[in-house]
Amino acid sequence: MPMTDLPGFSGELLDVFAARRTERVDTPIIQPAEPFLDIAGEDLRRRIFLTESERGESLCLRPEFTIPVCRRHIEKATGTPKRYAYLGTVFRQRREGENEFYQAGIEDLGDKDVASADARVVADALACLGKILPGRAFAVTMGDQAVFEAVVAALGLPVGWQRRLVRAFGQTELLEKMIARLARPEAMAGLTPEVETLLDKGDDAALETLITARMDETGYLTNASRSPADIVRRLKEKRLLAAASLDAGKLDTLKEFLSLNVSLRYAPGVLADFARAASLPLNAAITGFDARVAAFANAGAPLADITWRAAFGRPLDYYTGLVFEITARGDHAVLAGGGRYDRMLTLLGAQDHIPAVGFALWLDRIEKARASS
Amino acid sequence: MITIALPSKGRMKEDASAIFERAGMKIVAVGNDRSYRGRVEGWDDVEIAFLSASEISREVGAGTVDFGVTGEDLVREGLADADARVEFAARLGFGHADVIVAVPDIWFDVETMADLGDVAAEFRARHGRRLAIATKYWRLTQQFFSGSHGIQLYRIVESLGATEGAPAAGQADIIVDITSTGSTLRANHLKILSDGVILRSQACFVRARKPEHEGNPTVERIVAAVRAAL
Repeated sequence: MPMTDLPGFSGELLDVFAARRTERVDTPIIQPAEPFLDIAGEDLRRRIFLTESERGESLCLRPEFTIPVCRRHIEKATGTPKRYAYLGTVFRQRREGENEFYQAGIEDLGDKDVASADARVVADALACLGKILPGRAFAVTMGDQAVFEAVVAALGLPVGWQRRLVRAFGQTELLEKMIARLARPEAMAGLTPEVETLLDKGDDAALETLITARMDETGYLTNASRSPADIVRRLKEKRLLAAASLDAGKLDTLKEFLSLNVSLRYAPGVLADFARAASLPLNAAITGFDARVAAFANAGAPLADITWRAAFGRPLDYYTGLVFEITARGDHAVLAGGGRYDRMLTLLGAQDHIPAVGFALWLDRIEKARASS
Repeated sequence: MITIALPSKGRMKEDASAIFERAGMKIVAVGNDRSYRGRVEGWDDVEIAFLSASEISREVGAGTVDFGVTGEDLVREGLADADARVEFAARLGFGHADVIVAVPDIWFDVETMADLGDVAAEFRARHGRRLAIATKYWRLTQQFFSGSHGIQLYRIVESLGATEGAPAAGQADIIVDITSTGSTLRANHLKILSDGVILRSQACFVRARKPEHEGNPTVERIVAAVRAAL
């Protein structure tokens, strides 16, 4: 039987939200499915409850709050900065746990001081957990895509390869496969001799003419999503990517970076040592990283309880910097998870660039943790 | 009583009947030729239900029939956690077809799933929307793209017929579809990616994983007879 009553500690949680200067918002339970599938990807489709309106519009039961809260913000056009809090039911098809459960969280929109906003949100999450799980110790794991991006850029790979690696960030197997491939250049297969010759000669115009003629002939041109110029551009890029490789030293550097896993207290030193030993110009990324650690300390976040894991990331294109998860110390269940999603509001249609960071609390797991203590 | 669901028409019906006949399980229709019930000569505790191939995968998945003959593609597409719910007791050697990823053959720069990953990643920035895939195999597509190849950024456009025409018609950019000879794909100027075979499917003899099958001699005899006929 699903637990559909509000968790008993909801009142305490709302008190923390209010004390930390957030505005409580609610959103409809029935949501247009399009923004979720568009932003979070098709993988979400099998995990949400989809239905259709009479007019064929695709609808779903709210699977999370971040997208609805952001859409509401854009619609209301009330300006930034804004700190929103929410508490309500979400609906997901899960193998474990109920399909209908409570989530609460904070979305912190529009603060251009990235380091202090990151620190504030982690402190928010810890304050919430501290209130509803009093006396418990927590462990925070954090990752930072910006540092990984800087490392990959400093290795001197072509931009296309940098993007590939960043896309695979957080997906260990995929990343390992890519790193293995980078040990040696690859042959570029599958081209006809005609295309190969034109590509060798660097004759873009002739290549484009060839593709246009072929598209015309097959009737594909009228509806072509990718133009002949698009295809020629990527053919050239692909050739560049196929030829790219890393020497053994740089491969080791990349692997070593991904294996870094230290307490945040020591992370700035470890990162600086790493950059020096590998002779990588990471100054900008290190400055940003150190600023965040300093901001964490200022915000009163317990650095000793926070671990920085260099390989920790999420495979979605709107996550841009900090990601974090919080568990009770000595337990695996993630009680809170969040991160920075600076690209999301623009993807959802905001006119201006709005930096954003937030987290969600898994109230059903917290309820269990309370019961077990 | 053990129920076996068989395809109700076409090549699949004939090929399945031939295998059962070789297995010493001659199938006879109850009533007239077009009846949807049948029995097996000499096997009084077995009955036959003639259904469409997609119904068969659903009914075996739900356990309302004990066995079925249907395409592996339909089982894996139709059922979450297929291997936990059904057993592929035998592959029958007919009804071969591959579920594949195909792109316009004019995409000279796209030969592999990794290429497609690159194109999908920048699709939105270049074209203002996600890469669109026409298919009726949304589960297999997701597992292959998101699970096996780490590609998250695409949209599925459900296509219930003539999927291979979707790219030329502008309904989608690429397709995931079934093909046996590839001639329809070629006629529509599409090519299969070199690592774009999602599933090599064929007709299978599938058993619903039901606890009451444990130690049931008829169930064991049926499986042994079908396997021996291959």
